[in-house]
Amino acid sequence: MDKNIYKPIKCEVIDNIKESPTINTIVLKPEKNFSFLAGQFASLTVPGIGEAPFTPSSSPFDKEKIEFTVMKTGRVTEKIHELKKGDIVGVRGPFGKPYPLEKFKGKEVLLVGGGVGLAPIRALFLALVETYTNYKRILFCCGARTPQDYIYKEMIFDKWQKLCEKIPLCFRITVDRKDENWKYMEGVVTVTLDNLDMDIKNSVAVVCGPPIMMKFTTLKLLEIGFTPENIYLSMERKMYCGIGHCRHCMIGELFVCKDGPVFTYQELKEKPNIWV
Amino acid sequence: MERLYIKSEDWNGFIKGKLKENRIYVPIEKNNFLFYEILNEENCEKIIYDRARTIEPLKTFLYPFKEFVVPEIENIGEIIVMGVTSCDLQGLEILDSVFKEGDYKDLNYIKRRENLLIISFDCKEPYSSCFCNLVGVNPYPEKNFDLNLSKIENGFIVEIGSEKGKEFIGQDKRFYQVNQTQIKNLEEDRKKVIEKLEEINRNFDIKNFENLEGMYQKEYWEISDVKNCVSCGSCTFNCPTCVCFLLEDTSDNGNFKKVKVWDSCQFPGYAKMASGETPRPTLYDRYANRLLCKYWYMRKNFNTIGCTGCGRCISGCIGKIDKRKVLSEVLRKKIKV
Repeated sequence: MDKNIYKPIKCEVIDNIKESPTINTIVLKPEKNFSFLAGQFASLTVPGIGEAPFTPSSSPFDKEKIEFTVMKTGRVTEKIHELKKGDIVGVRGPFGKPYPLEKFKGKEVLLVGGGVGLAPIRALFLALVETYTNYKRILFCCGARTPQDYIYKEMIFDKWQKLCEKIPLCFRITVDRKDENWKYMEGVVTVTLDNLDMDIKNSVAVVCGPPIMMKFTTLKLLEIGFTPENIYLSMERKMYCGIGHCRHCMIGELFVCKDGPVFTYQELKEKPNIWV
Repeated sequence: MERLYIKSEDWNGFIKGKLKENRIYVPIEKNNFLFYEILNEENCEKIIYDRARTIEPLKTFLYPFKEFVVPEIENIGEIIVMGVTSCDLQGLEILDSVFKEGDYKDLNYIKRRENLLIISFDCKEPYSSCFCNLVGVNPYPEKNFDLNLSKIENGFIVEIGSEKGKEFIGQDKRFYQVNQTQIKNLEEDRKKVIEKLEEINRNFDIKNFENLEGMYQKEYWEISDVKNCVSCGSCTFNCPTCVCFLLEDTSDNGNFKKVKVWDSCQFPGYAKMASGETPRPTLYDRYANRLLCKYWYMRKNFNTIGCTGCGRCISGCIGKIDKRKVLSEVLRKKIKV
């Protein structure tokens, strides 16, 4: 008997961390083992309210808990922000194709994340750090509107930067509008891509963020010499089933839930309305 | 495939005999159209054997408008559906590809599919909206049935399509071997139906539907007929291959419950994300999506197009949009470009 793909795994909420005025990270302890690969997504059920798709933001190597970083935008996400320790939610998945880490081997990996788009990038970053000897270098470019809008502040401004001393890793950090205490770059995230000191022919770029950010980042990457095959985009569409049945998430003949959510720009460039 | 012959009155007796142990749905005429009704002693004489498709597509028996998927449904009984036409049998190719044969299985669908016996009929009087001949489907069943009934004078030619169909007939002595004259008559009948369809569709040229590949741009679709679309979703709900649905959560106290409900890509909110953005903001984007899905996406996904030529999207359209006309026009534009 096949298993019921719609039945979620029960998870207990063990923490609900405020990241920014609109973004929280909820930490869940699944009733049974739930493993995923960086870039895959899962559907999170708030019982009686609804279900919505998110990419886990925790390390795929962490088998004890899963984390989702969620921006408050609608009915389900509002309830997620209100969840308290001990509450029960459901998780289905993982769905879709992960970042192809095999293809990143021996290359410089450029990560570009903006706003809540840093969530899937975080899972990928943690996986890359775990296997860092496979890559030549990791360059992590982050952006947010203001210093307050940054998520994972403790990690980005402290913990992760300390890793730079141990492994081939560096950061470029910017905000659209700085305040008096800001000591990094200012400008939209594409400013971090000026004067890149990388061997672009032997690099891959991974982009995740709001559609407008993904669009201009992709255009910039093309301009500085990345090929469409080496630009990886994490796409978002309205996904219900996660398994290619309900057809809500289609971009042309591609299913974001099954053929994605990670696509190369090469796969998408001829498709309609991708920057939405 | 094995073919038998049975006289009309014998078939009536045979099927009445099956009533006790089976739940049988049959096409009955209401206001000039055919609707499925449950067979009983009274309506047995009213079954229409020699018309065309029913109003409801076959999918309503396999994939109901609304059902629980968590927990999955336990008591799905066996049913027999009579009067299924070739267009709906072709539709099974898509339904099976999605719910039964992919990497992920839909448990309710599989159970319903296993518990369904199909007795199809030849289409004898196609409607003006019918166009199976334009999409490579014949008006008589060739696959996906357990038994097929072709009405001929005073009786039926019964074609056996599966072991299940064969068992259903069993050793019943009312079925004879068919003779050559009967087969010849049937073939002539079938040819006449095809000629009728060709006559109905002589003004439409949609045979190059492969050319729709890449035709996303709404400029192609901005034609006056499409403007009449009121986004009611009738074309999708009536379609034998439209499978879109949404999931509703009705869980309580940690007991997960999920309901699957049909949805339509013609509804403005269909693809709208939490941000409020939708990749298909205009009527033309949405209309194009349905046709591109039928003739292009499904062909890529399942190796067969999603249109069976049943014409329900034409006859059921409030805006009186004739898809054949739209397609002919759009494909002509493509040639010009």
